[in-house]
Amino acid sequence: MMLPTSKPSRGRATGASLRLAILLFVADPQWLVPSTIAPIVFGLVSFELFRGEGPYFLTYAILGAGMMSMWGQTLYGSGWATGQDRTLGTLEPTIQAPTPYLYVVLGRIIWNVVAGLFGGAIVYLVVVLAAGGPPQLPNPLLFLVLFVFVMVTLASVGVVFAAAFVYSRYAGFIQNVGEFAFYIGTGCMFPVILLPFWTNPIALLFPPTWALDALRYVSIPGYSGFSWGWGWDLLGAVAVTAVYAAIAGSVFHRVERHVLESGQLGDY
Amino acid sequence: MNDELAIEVRNLVRVFESRKGFFFGEKTRTEALKGVELVVRRGAIFGLLGPNGAGKTTLTKILSTLLLPTSGTVRVLGRDVVEDAPWLRSRIGLVLGGERGLYNRINAYENLRYFADLYGIPPAERDARIKEVLERVDLTWAAGRRVEEYSRGMKQKLHIARGILHRPEILFLDEPTIGLDPKSARETRKLIRSLVVDGVTIFLTTHYMFEAEELCPRVAVLSKGRIVANDTMAGLRTRVGGDRTIEVEAYGFEDREVDRLRKLPGISKVVGEEFGPLMRLTMRVRTDEATPQSVADSLPGHPELSVRERRTSLEDVYLDLVEEEAR
Repeated sequence: MMLPTSKPSRGRATGASLRLAILLFVADPQWLVPSTIAPIVFGLVSFELFRGEGPYFLTYAILGAGMMSMWGQTLYGSGWATGQDRTLGTLEPTIQAPTPYLYVVLGRIIWNVVAGLFGGAIVYLVVVLAAGGPPQLPNPLLFLVLFVFVMVTLASVGVVFAAAFVYSRYAGFIQNVGEFAFYIGTGCMFPVILLPFWTNPIALLFPPTWALDALRYVSIPGYSGFSWGWGWDLLGAVAVTAVYAAIAGSVFHRVERHVLESGQLGDY
Repeated sequence: MNDELAIEVRNLVRVFESRKGFFFGEKTRTEALKGVELVVRRGAIFGLLGPNGAGKTTLTKILSTLLLPTSGTVRVLGRDVVEDAPWLRSRIGLVLGGERGLYNRINAYENLRYFADLYGIPPAERDARIKEVLERVDLTWAAGRRVEEYSRGMKQKLHIARGILHRPEILFLDEPTIGLDPKSARETRKLIRSLVVDGVTIFLTTHYMFEAEELCPRVAVLSKGRIVANDTMAGLRTRVGGDRTIEVEAYGFEDREVDRLRKLPGISKVVGEEFGPLMRLTMRVRTDEATPQSVADSLPGHPELSVRERRTSLEDVYLDLVEEEAR
């Protein structure tokens, strides 16, 4: 009689998913466009857009283009990976495996964060090369820490998008429609405070809004976003991200139950 | 629950509801399974037959925890498929097969390694186990090739390799040889038989009667969401009228000739089919009294008459049962 294997480890499943994401990335040359070529273009466009706009225009350019590049990689990529599972027909065997699907999604998101940071680094290099020197950063270490944290907040929203792709094959439509509204609304390109006031409370429901505001406080002296300073912004970002993380498990459990009820797991 | 039972299904109903039309305003309701009752013992190959749309894949997905039942009780390895899904998933294997379901841009080894990790195969055993299953499905030579370069048969083998990777106690195979060339299909059947020797219970759905006849000591026929038969091959033959079948062909038979055949001793059933000008009468034979000679003797005046006797096939049984259900 064959015997069942040991209890699956969630950490191993996340590691396996991360490994798979890297393998699929390397195997598919089309990723060169969003991961390498797009950041170069975004960097150059942003540099021209902000050129001459005060002493910290380079920082604005890097943040604007960097977020544009990382946004797609980290958030959009997380949902897209699950959509690909639907298209390939691998969603059913993956859900059928004993590890909760959430841990598979986490592995992909870790990779998307890394890929997003790679895009951000390219933008930085392009803008620095175009300007002939690095931007003035009052606190480079804190900037770096917050930069990585912004990626984490994007990833937390990515989990929700991934759940939407498990829920329905039409999630891509919703993501495409909402992508740019979310991009502008969370302050990826420019501070949210510049948008109509009624949008601000909605924007604060999303972790990246807080984290980006904190990042601008740290990197642009004299910046006045929500007027709370980077410390409170960071606290807000941590709190909202924690809420997203807490509900992620529950959302995935419910979504999985829903698709097993509706029988739409194999639809693509 | 009897420990000898691998599967126990009681009054299983599965309803699909969907919306379509303008703004999804039109609601449709399809009852795919209508009170299915089924018991499968451990350690054998059980065949589930049925026409397209009968509910075979729906039943397989419910048994393998990929779909929730609308009502009824479904137990696999003694556990409820809804309440104990996480426990069951590490003990059952599922092979849905086909062109999809694999990561095409990476190789077979990496596909298997990913699922080995999801199934918690200990890292120290993982590579040896992958090597073992690749050898078993005869894909060792192609382990490093991207799956997108695989033929349909090779993909099917890889699906099976993934299905048995974690040493499941029960393996669900949904039409495992569909679309395969005869050689690949034969190899797949050989592989399935070898798994039973290892103690794996196989639940097999298929369209191919000869395949079920070759592999399955016991089969069930699912038609329009209901199990219309569940028996051994011998039992099914008896149910449709006999172990032997006699066929006669000629250029047309009169009704009185058909009636005469029906009244012959030992004949239990006569069914007519037309093939252009040619007509074939198929008879199920219940006792030794009916022979090709006695049938030929009752049809004088047909110099072109051809008579042959053969064993009642599963296909005969299946067609009879599905036709009965359609009526």
